[in-house]
Amino acid sequence: MNKAVAAPQQHTDVATPARITLVEAVNLALARALRDDPDVVVFGEDVGVNGGVFRATLGLQERFGLRRVMDTPLAENLIAGLAVGMATQGLKPVAEIQFMGFIYATLEQLISHAARMRNRTRGRLHCPLVIRAPYGGGIHAPEHHSESTEAILAHIPGLRVVVPSSPALAYGLLLSAIQDPDPVVFLEPKRIYRAVKREVIDDGQGLPLDVCFTLREGEDATLVAWGAMIPECLDAAVQLADLGVNVEVIDVATLAPLDMQTILDSVKKTGRCVVVHEAAHHGGLGAQIAATVSELGLLSLLAPVQRVSGFDTPMPLLKNEHYYLPNSGDIVAAVQKALDFA
Amino acid sequence: MHTVAEFSIGYRGYLNSQGVLGDDAPSASSAPELLVRAYGAMVLARIFDAKAIALQRTGQMGTYASCLGQEAIGAAIGLAMAEDDLFVPYYRDQATQLLRGVSMTEILQYWGGDERGSNFARQRRDLPNCVPIATQITHAAGAASAFKLRKLRQAVVVTCGDGATSRGDFYESINLAGAWQLPLVVVVNNNQWAISVRRQYQSGAATLAQKAIAAGIPGEQVDGNDFIAVHAAVSEALQRAYDGKGATLIEAICYRLSDHTTADDATRYRPAEELKQAWQQEPIKRLQTYLHQCGLWSAEREQGLQAEVQEAVAKAVAAYQQLPPAVPESLFEYVFAEWPAAYAWQRDMLRHRVARMAEPSDSLESGIEGHHSKGTSHE
Amino acid sequence: MRYFKLPDLGEGLQEAEIIEWHVKPGDQVMCDQLLLSVETAKAIVDVPSPCDGVIANLFGKPGDILHIGEPLVEFEGGEDDSGTVVGEIKSRDDRGGEETFIIGGTASSGHGDIHATPAIRALAKRLQVNLQDVIASGRHGMITHDDVERAARLRESHGEAELLRGVRRTMAIAMAKAHAEVVKVTIEDDVDLHAWGKNFDVTMRLVRAIGVACGKEPGLNCWFDGATLRRRLLKQVDLGIAVDTPDGLFVPVLRNINERTAEDLRAGLDALRVAVEKRKIPPAELQGATIALSNYGMMAGRYADPVVVPPMVCIVGAGQIRDRVVAFKGQPAVHPVLPLSLSFDHRVITGGEAARFLAALMADLVSVD
Repeated sequence: MNKAVAAPQQHTDVATPARITLVEAVNLALARALRDDPDVVVFGEDVGVNGGVFRATLGLQERFGLRRVMDTPLAENLIAGLAVGMATQGLKPVAEIQFMGFIYATLEQLISHAARMRNRTRGRLHCPLVIRAPYGGGIHAPEHHSESTEAILAHIPGLRVVVPSSPALAYGLLLSAIQDPDPVVFLEPKRIYRAVKREVIDDGQGLPLDVCFTLREGEDATLVAWGAMIPECLDAAVQLADLGVNVEVIDVATLAPLDMQTILDSVKKTGRCVVVHEAAHHGGLGAQIAATVSELGLLSLLAPVQRVSGFDTPMPLLKNEHYYLPNSGDIVAAVQKALDFA
Repeated sequence: MHTVAEFSIGYRGYLNSQGVLGDDAPSASSAPELLVRAYGAMVLARIFDAKAIALQRTGQMGTYASCLGQEAIGAAIGLAMAEDDLFVPYYRDQATQLLRGVSMTEILQYWGGDERGSNFARQRRDLPNCVPIATQITHAAGAASAFKLRKLRQAVVVTCGDGATSRGDFYESINLAGAWQLPLVVVVNNNQWAISVRRQYQSGAATLAQKAIAAGIPGEQVDGNDFIAVHAAVSEALQRAYDGKGATLIEAICYRLSDHTTADDATRYRPAEELKQAWQQEPIKRLQTYLHQCGLWSAEREQGLQAEVQEAVAKAVAAYQQLPPAVPESLFEYVFAEWPAAYAWQRDMLRHRVARMAEPSDSLESGIEGHHSKGTSHE
Repeated sequence: MRYFKLPDLGEGLQEAEIIEWHVKPGDQVMCDQLLLSVETAKAIVDVPSPCDGVIANLFGKPGDILHIGEPLVEFEGGEDDSGTVVGEIKSRDDRGGEETFIIGGTASSGHGDIHATPAIRALAKRLQVNLQDVIASGRHGMITHDDVERAARLRESHGEAELLRGVRRTMAIAMAKAHAEVVKVTIEDDVDLHAWGKNFDVTMRLVRAIGVACGKEPGLNCWFDGATLRRRLLKQVDLGIAVDTPDGLFVPVLRNINERTAEDLRAGLDALRVAVEKRKIPPAELQGATIALSNYGMMAGRYADPVVVPPMVCIVGAGQIRDRVVAFKGQPAVHPVLPLSLSFDHRVITGGEAARFLAALMADLVSVD
C-alpha cells in the first residue's frame, strides 16, 4: 500500500510552540484531547484512513486506533444521533460533518435531542458532544459546499456555536468545547484553514467559551465579526489606519451564548459599531448584535450600527462567488459611513 | 421454527472482461445497432471526461467529479430509458445526461461554477446533479408518485453511489417505493468507494441489492462494466414499472477508476496495484473487443469515431471558454419568481460592491480573481 | 503536488505503453522537463513534468500499460497534498508568528459620558448646539429635547457661551475650591503715607513690609493642609504677586524676599512681569508661593476681601493710594492714605496673629529709612 500519509509527529510532554495552520491546530487539539481523556472519541466520514478530507484528523487513527477514531458509513443524521447516544453514556464524542452543507440532515438530532437532553431530564442526562464542520465560502467549491447558516444553530437554546478565527483560538476553543458538558457545534472557516501559520503551544489549555476576544484595540469604531471575516476586518483595519482611523476588532468566537458585554464596552468607547458576517443578511446574527447594541448601548452610539453581510441569496457558484462575499473594501466603506454620520 | 420467507439475490453479467458474450445474453440488449450506439456514447463520455479533468487542472474549471469507469452504466441507462421517463442523477452521470440531451457545454458550466449549466436547453424535465448524498432518491420517489397519481405510463430512474445506501434517504425512499408500488428504478453505482471509505466499511450486508428485500421490492446485482447486462436489467425494471408492477433496485458493480473528485488524491488511501487490476475490468475495452470480433467495428471506424468525438468535445469546450460569466445582477434573478421589493437595497449594494471591486486593489480578493478562467470579466 | 498521474494525452484512448523513462528516482526535474515517452495507439508521446521537484518513485517499467489517472511519478516531499476534496484552500503570504488577543475587552470610558440618545444628538447637530454645553434635566442625567432647544434659544438671544480655557479656567476651578475650604476673615486698616515724599516704589515697600511682618509673625508664612490638619512653617518668604493680563490672572513668585536687596527684588519682579506678559513664564515660577500680595490699588479699589488660596494661609491686599482728610495732631489734614486689607485662614491663624501681622506691616510701611 502506498503510504501517502507521513507518520504523525511524536508528541512529547514538552509543550514547545509549533507554527501551524488553523486546520493543523484542530488536529493538534483533537490529538491532545484523545490523549488526555480516554472518553473522547472521534468519528465521521473519511476521518480515519484518509485523515479527513481537509486532513483535520490526519494521523489520529494510526496513533489512537480504531476504537477511538472511526470511519462511519455515509449518514449524517446517523452521525449526530450516534453522538447523542454515546454522550449520554459518558463518552465525549467529537463527530465530524464533512461540510456544513450536510449538517442539515443532523438538525433534528441537534435540536430535538442534543440541545434539550439536559433540560428535559432535569440534568439527569446530558450531551457533552461536539459536532465539527468546515463552513463558509470562498474556496471555489461546487454547490452546497460553501454554507454559512450558523444563525439557524445559534437560534437553538441549549446549543453552543463556536467559530475560531486563528490557529491558537482553534486549539484552545476546541479543547474547551470538547470538555464542555453540553453540546457544541464547532464551525471551522475552511477558507482560512491554511491561510496563516501561528505559534500554538500544545499545553492542553483551553480558551474560555462564551467570551469575545479583542484582537485589535482602537477608539474610532468597533468591528465585530467571526470566522473568515476576521482576516478581512484586520485587513480593513490596516487600510483604515492609513486614513488615520483606528478601529477595534472583536472576534465573537462563541456565537451563542453571545458575550455582549465586551461588545458594549467597546462601543461605549468608540461610539460606532460595524458587524460583519458572510452569512445572509436577513436573520443573520448581525441583527441580534445590532438590536442589543441599540437596546443597551444607545447612548454611546454616534451612528447606527452598520451590518456588512452576504445577500439574501444562495452563495453563487464559483464564477460569481466573489460578488457575494464581503471583503475588506466593504468593511472600510461601512466604517466610513459610520464616521460620516456624525 | 419454520421459515416464513426466503429471498435470494441474483447476479447477471453477459459480456466478460475479455469481450466474450455469454449465450444467455438477451437479444434486445445485445443488438448490433444498440451496441454500436452504446460504444459511441461511452467513448464520448470518456473523452469528454478526460477533457474536463484537463480543464480543471489548468484552472479553467472548478472541482470536477469524473465518471471514469462508469460509462457502461451511464450509457445503458441513457439508452434504455424512454424520452418521457424522468432521470434523477447524482453527480457521475455524464454519459446518461449526454444521451438525454444535456450538452457537454452545460456540464462544463455546472462544474465551472455557472448556474446556467443546470438550465438544460434541450432536456427540460430531468433533475440537475445532486450533491447532498441520497437526497435525490426521495425526489425520485416523489416524481414517481406523481407519475403514478396521474396514471402515466412513465418511470423514474435514479442513480446513487454505494455510500448513499447508508443514508436514511435511501432506506426511506425504497421503503415507500415498496409500500406504494412506485414506478421507480434505483440504480446503485457501486464503484467500491465513498471517497476513501471502502465498500466493506460502508455496510455489513453481503450485497447492497439485498436492501431491496427490506423494502419489499426486487433487487439484483449486475456487472456494472457490462453494458449489455446493465441495459437488460434497467430495461426489464422499466417494463415492470410501466406495467404497474412497482420498483426495482439494481446494484451495478464497477470500480471508480478516478479520484473521488479532481481535488481528491486516491493514492492516499488505495493501492496502485488495486487500481491497475481494476482497469482490467473496464467497460469500454471489452465492448470494443466484442464489436471487433463480431465484425461490427474496425480501425477506420474507430478513427472516424475518435475524430468525430474529439471535434465535438473541442467545440463544446470552446463554447464554454468563450462564455462570459453571468452578470452579477443575476445573483438576484432566480431566488424568487420576483426579487422582493423589500430587498431592492441589496441590488444597490451589489452595484457599489462591483464598482468598488473594479478599482485596482491588492486585497485578498484579487488573488482569487486572478484564478478565474480566461472568460471571466468584471462588468 | 505529490503524485503525477497519467493525464489526458489528447489521443482518444486512455491507455498508453511505457516506452522509455527519461528520469530516475533522485533526479531533480524542472517544470516541462521530459519525464517519459509512451506509445498510444497512434503515436509516441512525450510526457512533460507538471512541476519542479525531485523524483521519489516511478510507477511502471518499459512495456507496462498504463491508463489515464494511474500514478506515474511520485515527487518528494514538498506540498503535501491539496488537503481538500472540493475547491482549493489557499495559504497567504504571511510574516506573522505570534497571536495576540485579549480575552474579553479593554474597559474605558468614552462617548458614553454624555447621556443623549442618537435622536437628541442629531437634534443638537442640526441646531448646532454643543452637547458639552447643555445642562441635562432628564432622568438619569439624560439630555432632553427641551434641554437642547433651550440651549439653542439661549444662544440665539444671548450669544454663544464660551467655554473657559487656560488660565481663566484654572482660576475658576482654583477659586471655587479655595472658597469651599478656607474659613476666611479679613482685617482692614489704613496707612498714612505723608512721610514718604515723592518718588516711591509702593510695590517694593509692600514687599519689604511683608517680609518684615513675616519675621514678626511667622505663623502667617506657612502652608496648611486642611485634609490632614498639618501646618508647615516656612523659613523662606516666597511672595506670590498677582499680575493682571488680558489672558487672566497670573501669580508669579518672587523668591526669598527677606534676603535680597530692593534693587534685586525690583529687577526680579520686572523680569517676571515681562515673562508673564510674553507668555513665556515657566510653570515653576508660578508655583510655591508662601504668602501673596494683590496690588489691585494700582487700578482702583480701597478695601477688599481677597481669596486665600491653599496651601497659603493669608493674602495682603493693597488698595489705591488717595488723598484723604485725616486727623493729624488733633487737626484735619489732607494726607495720602494707603488702604490695606489682610485676609487670613482662621482655621490656622488667630485673630491676634493676624492683627499683629497687620500692625507690623503698617509699622514698616510708615517708617522712613
